[in-house]
Amino acid sequence: MSLLAAFARLGIQGSRSGGVAGAAVARCLHISPVLCAEPLKKKKKLDPQIIKQREDRKKKKIEKQIRRLEKNARQLKPVEELEVPLELIDEKDKRQRKLTPLGNAELEERALLKKQWAHFKHEERVADFQIIDRLVQAQNKALAELRSESEELYQAAIEVDPQLLPVAVKGPVATPPIKNYDSPDGDYVHQSMKWEVK
Amino acid sequence: MWRRFVQLGARELSRTQSTIAAPEKWDLYAGVLVERLPVISKSLNPLEKQFQDLLWRVEYENSLKSDFELKHERDLVQAELIKKGKMQVDLEDSGAKQTAQDLKDAYVEELKKFQLGSRTTADDKANRTSSTDRCLEDTLYLLVQQKLGQQQHLILPQGKRLEGESMRQTAERVLREQCGQDLQVLFYGNAPVGFHKYKYPSNQRTESVGAKVFFYRASVRSGQVSEKQAKFEWLPKEALNGKLTNASYSESINKFLL
Repeated sequence: MSLLAAFARLGIQGSRSGGVAGAAVARCLHISPVLCAEPLKKKKKLDPQIIKQREDRKKKKIEKQIRRLEKNARQLKPVEELEVPLELIDEKDKRQRKLTPLGNAELEERALLKKQWAHFKHEERVADFQIIDRLVQAQNKALAELRSESEELYQAAIEVDPQLLPVAVKGPVATPPIKNYDSPDGDYVHQSMKWEVK
Repeated sequence: MWRRFVQLGARELSRTQSTIAAPEKWDLYAGVLVERLPVISKSLNPLEKQFQDLLWRVEYENSLKSDFELKHERDLVQAELIKKGKMQVDLEDSGAKQTAQDLKDAYVEELKKFQLGSRTTADDKANRTSSTDRCLEDTLYLLVQQKLGQQQHLILPQGKRLEGESMRQTAERVLREQCGQDLQVLFYGNAPVGFHKYKYPSNQRTESVGAKVFFYRASVRSGQVSEKQAKFEWLPKEALNGKLTNASYSESINKFLL
């Protein structure tokens, strides 16, 4: 009851004081739901000829681009990292080493050394293959023996071991790692704040 | 023709009968070849060294001068000019300016201060064969002292297969039992890499004739053989062959050593 009375009083006041307050009250009280969108506009109908024209224009544009690309197909897109700096190209003459050309004896010696090297590498490779053959043979022998003992064990032996992958290998290095070595990793500036308790 | 078939069949029959009549029973053993892979690269032989020098020389000849070399040349020219009195020495500048040679000297000095790890270790000098920190260039193989029959032998760790185990499981168990938990290894697959068989002395044969040993290859990841193992040695290939007393065992092992 009291609420109604209050409203009534408001209404009276509103009518008395005039337009401004009345409008404010009207804005605060809604009877219909608030719409946060407006109804869709009616779509304009375009002339089919104009649409066709537009599509044609698009097509032509793309065709033109394709033609341009085809024309320059030979030209590769430059990779920035692979570009030789202009500075080096300019200074090439300056940077050339002026060495005396090699003598005949030196050339001969080098050719001989290369031949020796080829021989050495060939023998090394042959030895490698022999080792591989020997290992494969040893394994085949072992597997055959295992099979003759028990088929079950053989089947277990030829199963793939999934734990081997991924494999991590540390290759041999020129000098062994120094024990307890703390690698200097650039300059280190400790930035966090220090708080002192007084 | 028909007679031949009959003959063949008869021979076949008699053979199968003979195998059924005397099935030899062999004990199955798993052995483990534990290797410590080389830590450092092989030293170059004279030919390799010569060829490396050649490659470096060719590399130098084909190269262009670097910025540093150009700077060095400029410095030399400038010094020459100053000497001749054609150029004023900029007193303010000369103190702060470092020539390329100065820089190079500083770099060399810094490099000299750094101590590279030595390619030979203390254990190499002491010839401590129980350490894996020696013979860094070579692959080392593990031998352990084991009792076979009445005698002690220095051989690859091996042990008898228990019922229900695969050979790989046996190999893993044997290694654990003989070398302790500390030794971490990586087994190379489920298949054995080598094989050796030997017969027991005839007075000790009970039900089986001898032993068939299937060897597995494994490489050490970390750790060392536990102390309770009485005697063990890490040996490179040549020393290994010197230690193995049994000729046929040594031959079988050598078939799958690298």
